Amino acid sequence: MSVHYPALVVVMPVVAALIIAILAWVHPSRALPVAVAALAAAAGAAAMMLVRVLAHGPFAYHLGGWPPPVGIAYEIDHLNALVLAVMAAVALINLLAVWPQAEQRFAERTVFFYALYLLFCAGTFGILVTGDAFNLFVLLEITSISGYALIGLGRRDAALASLNYVFMGTIGASLYLLGIGYLYLVTGSLNMADMAAILPRIQDSRVVTAAFIICMTGLFMKMALFPLHGWLPNAYSQAAGPVCSLIAPLTTKTMIYVMVRIGLYVFSPQFTFGRLDLARAMVWLAVMAIVFGSLTALAQTNLRRMLCYVVVAEVGYMVGGFWLGTRTAMTGAILHIVNDAAMTLCVFLVVGTIGHQLKSDTFDTLRGAFRRMPWTMAVMVVAGLSLIGVPPTCGFFSKWYLLGGALAAGHWGLAGALVFSSLVNTLLFFRIFEIAYFEPVNTGNYGHAAPLRYAEAPPAMLAPMIAAAMGLIVLGLLTGEIVTRLIAPAIPAAIP
Amino acid sequence: MRRLGLITAVLFGGLLAYATPDFPDWGDPRSPASTHVSPYYIQNSLADTAVPNIVTAVLADYRGYDTMFETTVIFAAGLACLFLLRNFGPRAVESRLYRHRPTGITLRIEQGGDLPENSAEFERIDSQWVPYDLIIRCAGRLVLPFIQLFALYVVAHGHHSPGGGFQGGVIFGAALIFYALSHDLRSTLGHLPEARSLIVAAVGVLIYVGTGVLCLLLGGAFLDYAALAGLLGVDPVMARSHGILMVEIGVALAVTTVMVSLYYYLATAGRLDEGL
Repeated sequence: MSVHYPALVVVMPVVAALIIAILAWVHPSRALPVAVAALAAAAGAAAMMLVRVLAHGPFAYHLGGWPPPVGIAYEIDHLNALVLAVMAAVALINLLAVWPQAEQRFAERTVFFYALYLLFCAGTFGILVTGDAFNLFVLLEITSISGYALIGLGRRDAALASLNYVFMGTIGASLYLLGIGYLYLVTGSLNMADMAAILPRIQDSRVVTAAFIICMTGLFMKMALFPLHGWLPNAYSQAAGPVCSLIAPLTTKTMIYVMVRIGLYVFSPQFTFGRLDLARAMVWLAVMAIVFGSLTALAQTNLRRMLCYVVVAEVGYMVGGFWLGTRTAMTGAILHIVNDAAMTLCVFLVVGTIGHQLKSDTFDTLRGAFRRMPWTMAVMVVAGLSLIGVPPTCGFFSKWYLLGGALAAGHWGLAGALVFSSLVNTLLFFRIFEIAYFEPVNTGNYGHAAPLRYAEAPPAMLAPMIAAAMGLIVLGLLTGEIVTRLIAPAIPAAIP
Repeated sequence: MRRLGLITAVLFGGLLAYATPDFPDWGDPRSPASTHVSPYYIQNSLADTAVPNIVTAVLADYRGYDTMFETTVIFAAGLACLFLLRNFGPRAVESRLYRHRPTGITLRIEQGGDLPENSAEFERIDSQWVPYDLIIRCAGRLVLPFIQLFALYVVAHGHHSPGGGFQGGVIFGAALIFYALSHDLRSTLGHLPEARSLIVAAVGVLIYVGTGVLCLLLGGAFLDYAALAGLLGVDPVMARSHGILMVEIGVALAVTTVMVSLYYYLATAGRLDEGL
């Protein structure tokens, strides 16, 4: 069975989603165990594949038994085995943490929430393992449609935010498809490895240049890179808590992974960083994304919206690190994909829990939160420190590589933006800690302090959240292993 | 903002125009798209799969995995519509219209009145009153079986001519929607209730995915229909042909029922009570 893991990691969530859609009409209460079992099995398969890649190197799986380029192949290598293992764990931990909220929030719809959740995960996992450029688009459709639906059923303005996301996301995905169409026109192939073998021979063709630009622009829209980030803050802040902590860690990071995959493994590094002189402009765009995201985050008075802009800034980190085109910065960018997925999960889980327990997520409701929800706030502290970049949390290490890469490349703009963003994050999170720890609680009781109501989340929600926080530290401590055994072999030798 | 849109459109158009001169010539037999992978399909698909229609062979076998997810996308769209539009709240009992069949008189029964449900003499009609239209009903009833038969033909004949699960499913779904239009929504719901429709949709996709899993359990790769040879009692090439038919049936079931479900939710704003 172990040879089939690449297919099973995607197929198991799909099968579970279908079974849940049937159970919904006969046995709705069985849906949750099925969903958890499927995601646990997928996470297990992802972990086993990671172990196999570490032991034996990359391997492929031919769907339908047809070898590429005739058929579709899944290629597991160091890069996607790492990202997949973390993403699968993120999806599982999130489901374990949010199901009590989801059952309250969605009532009769919860069963369908689970089905869409699983389809979203299946699409994401598929995007990560596929070695076929068109198959990637099909899987992107699955994630997008289920994502739009999940976001659409959120707060008051969620439908409008989701519609906006539908427009932007559809344009982005269509651009990606158009780019792949152009590549097919000149290579006659849809398999990534096969395209990569053909492209160096024809890289002077204008079609290849256009395909590259169109593809990348589509991905920038889907990953919410400034100035194409407009959909993200509304979509994420209007989404329901359980949805937000699923989509925020997975969507943008997966798209950044696709950018890395296309940039390094479909087009050659020489083409991506050398041919068009786009790379320098992209790094400056990333600098603007970081500065804009950080400054806008400062202006927010709502916890969730603030974090949305932090996400916009984080996208800038990875895009900047990637387009610098040096080994250290690339290591930082890839490491940050993984770390940022874990950090975003952690921090959005906390915000979702606060929103659920205290019925609001403005800064004002946070007063006294350390006494009302000590454990949740402890997780918040760990996640905050990681986003700031304090060792031994994982955020420190990827930022260290990014900063080192920027300095080594002599790009002071990016280095400055990284330091600036860390300072702003310090400000953002210590302001929250200050409000939640020190600010007097105004209970509306004529100035008399009423006893604070203890509002900690139930253990079922707390345990996965604490596990996620521990994950940040574990990832941080494992940085050396991850970098030398997984990321170093994943970066092509052509990168200096 | 409008100017920004204009600039974007002009830039994008410029990029497309820039790339056009390097396109392969129109219909050029030496273009990469016709020389790289396509010749393999043209030369081998019949020998590999015993399916004369190359499009079907590529779609449902060589790249069958993509098609499985396309079917799942359709299913996800149905699920998304249900998730967003379905009104699970308590159904407000508003006034209802009933037609007395023998006389054709229409009665409005206000909230709280006795509703003549299950009566042979009264039939419920939509509150946006529709005149009784004998011609449309009879014509509809007359055409329907032929549309459905044609849909089945399109599904079954995908191996030889343009067609297959998606096309046949759409025609069948359209037939059911046509039934709802020519009669009313409740009569379609009577034949295909909401729950049954969505369960059949899930079963349809499950047939596709399940065929893949079955291949895997029988020792092949996922969706490698040749592994079904022992089970079906035919040679591996015919097994591919039969495997394609199995997944096409799954696709047809899913597409039909998702189309009808989408119609249910959109036409009734999720109340599944009355609508076009």
